[in-house]
Amino acid sequence: MKLSLNRRHFMLSGAAALGAAASPGLLSSSARAAGDFPDKPMQVLVPTGEGGGVDQAARAFDRVWAKYLGANFEYSYFPGASGQVGYEVFISKREPNAYNILFGNIGPEMIMYATQNVHYKYPEDFVYIGSMDVDDSVIWVAADSKFKTIQDLVEEGKKREITLSTSRLPHPSTIGVLALAEATGMKVRMIPYGGGGPARSAAITGEVDGCATFLSTSLGLGDQIRFLTVFNNKNSAPKLTNDAPPVNQVFGTKIPPMSGQRAIAIHTKAVKEYPDRVKKLTDTMQKVFTDPEYKEIAEKAGTPWEFIQYGDAASCDESAKEFIALAGRYRSLLTASK
Amino acid sequence: MHISMSILADQFALNFSYLWLIVIGTTIGIIIGAMPGFGAANTIILLLPFTLAVHVDVALIFMISLFVASHMGGGITSILLNIPGNGGAAATCLDGYPMARKGLGQQALVLSFVSSTVGGMVTAGLSIFLLPYISRLAYYMHSVEMVVVLLFGITLIASVASDNMLKGLIAGFLGLLIGAIGADHIYSTPRATFGFIELYDGVPLIAVLIGVFAISEALTMMESSSVLSDKGRELMKQAGWKETWEGVQMAFARTWHMIWTSLVGLVIGIIPGAGASIAAFVAYQQSRLFSKTPEKYGTGIPEGVIAPESANNGCSSGDLIPLLVIGVPGGTTAAVMLIVLTYHGVQLGPRLFIQNPGMGYGVFVTMMVAYAVMLFTTLPLTRYVSRLVLIPTTVLAPIIIAFTLVGAFAPRGYMFDLWLTLVFGVIGYLCRRTGYNVVAVLIGVILGPMLEANVMRALRISGDDPLVFFSSPVGNVLWVALACSLLIPSFAKWRRNRAALASA
Repeated sequence: MKLSLNRRHFMLSGAAALGAAASPGLLSSSARAAGDFPDKPMQVLVPTGEGGGVDQAARAFDRVWAKYLGANFEYSYFPGASGQVGYEVFISKREPNAYNILFGNIGPEMIMYATQNVHYKYPEDFVYIGSMDVDDSVIWVAADSKFKTIQDLVEEGKKREITLSTSRLPHPSTIGVLALAEATGMKVRMIPYGGGGPARSAAITGEVDGCATFLSTSLGLGDQIRFLTVFNNKNSAPKLTNDAPPVNQVFGTKIPPMSGQRAIAIHTKAVKEYPDRVKKLTDTMQKVFTDPEYKEIAEKAGTPWEFIQYGDAASCDESAKEFIALAGRYRSLLTASK
Repeated sequence: MHISMSILADQFALNFSYLWLIVIGTTIGIIIGAMPGFGAANTIILLLPFTLAVHVDVALIFMISLFVASHMGGGITSILLNIPGNGGAAATCLDGYPMARKGLGQQALVLSFVSSTVGGMVTAGLSIFLLPYISRLAYYMHSVEMVVVLLFGITLIASVASDNMLKGLIAGFLGLLIGAIGADHIYSTPRATFGFIELYDGVPLIAVLIGVFAISEALTMMESSSVLSDKGRELMKQAGWKETWEGVQMAFARTWHMIWTSLVGLVIGIIPGAGASIAAFVAYQQSRLFSKTPEKYGTGIPEGVIAPESANNGCSSGDLIPLLVIGVPGGTTAAVMLIVLTYHGVQLGPRLFIQNPGMGYGVFVTMMVAYAVMLFTTLPLTRYVSRLVLIPTTVLAPIIIAFTLVGAFAPRGYMFDLWLTLVFGVIGYLCRRTGYNVVAVLIGVILGPMLEANVMRALRISGDDPLVFFSSPVGNVLWVALACSLLIPSFAKWRRNRAALASA
């Protein structure tokens, strides 16, 4: 099914034009003169819902990237089946011409790839060309919860099954919690809510004991919540997280970092056929990280600057493969198959 | 969360200084609300370059105006053409369209606009003064309670199909089956997708809405020369300002009805994940339950328009409360608003009401002003808009098919959705021709997936213990209310029969 031009794209082009009009000077003349590519707007596919963490991060990044790339960005959203729908649409229905990019999150989406029956292959069909942040998994509880520390939660989990909300089962935080349960003997049940918003809401309103999710999406909740632990070897934002201790420091475990990396994916075929275009994408992408405007915009979009970190294609590939391996280990707990 | 009169006065002054913007926002909102396939969320996304570039007050006033107007606009096509502009307006078809066929389209439109305005204003006003209390509702309405609320809506299948219960139930279960297509809510395992990736996220509601209502209605329309009955046609030709005033009188003769059904909308709107469609169906079901003449529902009575429209618009305040008070969006439109507000550096959640209470309460003030503005802009138009039904069906039906197919395509941009819409159009047409109620199908499609998600979640939280459904005090109260709502009609009928026998 070819979707080269349709009403949706027409309307989105209109929005992009309006955006350009609303922000005069958004595209510098030097960027335009840099080459033929891109000579039309970039098409961004987001495999999660409008207004979600990825959407916000993508819009913040692309706003600055547009200056260096010399093109505007048009967005389409294909949530569903833990991100599978978006990836399937991207691989099977989007032309591999380097104009089509996918803005996703390596951790959750590679776990989804490894645990669901997908119709595409990594890295044969797509690769990540760069990532823009590292967002650690955390466990938090509502501020009025009786659990003051992660030890309290684990101790209670030895007496009864703890319930933790999550946006989707294939998620690094789910694996982190399952690894913690395995190491400590805690009993835990992950409850997927089909989105970050409902998952956070369930934990704040007391339907479940707590929430396992990424750190950045929870920061806006302020003093309604209390962070219990971080799934990394160091808490990168102690002031924002009531100095919650890293999980391995508390229990002496060796749970690997369970971080999400928001990243840009592209068709592998595009990398082979249009290396010059892909080079321009990666070169201009790196420039964004040194631009003070990006710091300002990213923080406005809710991502603390401490989390912003460029990762190249090789590091993305390494991370993707690590998550495939981790997902394989916990496959039986993440899928309906016994 | 303490409100002072000076804050409210400032917010009203601010909104009045932006009246021009509210007029633009509400006009766009009413148009997109009336068009199946278009809604507040995708319009706000399209206009992000504008809302991100302007001052946060301007952005917020514009978004809220557009949002509430989209709730109001959905009823226009429900009433005149039996085609709901969105899920929240689906229940309005039940009595709105029969009114239009009788030549009372203008009055029905006025009823819809007045009840939307009253419902929207009352709930926005209540939200301002009772925010700390009503926002606590979200703490008591979890998956278990949602299951019972959804069952209230689903029991409407039996009501709308009361003329032929067996066929009605078959239609309802067909809807539930269609609603079960897609990836499951826990493990994302695809079910009954026939290998189509386009169905992994479930059957798109808009394809069902347009197919079952618009396409099948257009096909049915072509069987006669006019949408109206002969008597209705005569009435409609003579319609003038008198009918508009008649509609206003009809509405205000039922002021309490408008108020209490809007409260149903407010309460349901606050529950995260619930929305206008469930609110409208539950309000219609409750309105019918407490009516002295339930048998008249579905034949074109004012209460049948008022209940879903008041609830649909009462829901608009409720939808935004979780976003403002907790900082978590309760629906897609709220999620998109979150992008804009976060970008402008607005801290949502409890801190909003400490750091910037004017903005928090200003949302509801904007709603009140927007509803007041809409009443003045829409009421004079009813006289002209209602004449749409006078267009011969040979012209009207092809236009409906063409426009609504664009609406079916727009949200996701799949050709697949066009074919799916046509398939549902044929299903809807066959249902109509063979006496299977299409509203029953739609109730199943809309509420089925929500019911399944909440049942599965409640069971998973409890460790697969079915007794979880009777474990919460609020849930148990709702169960009793549900049982009463199922038994009261039979009991009332039995009493009426007994009284009739005694007097005979």
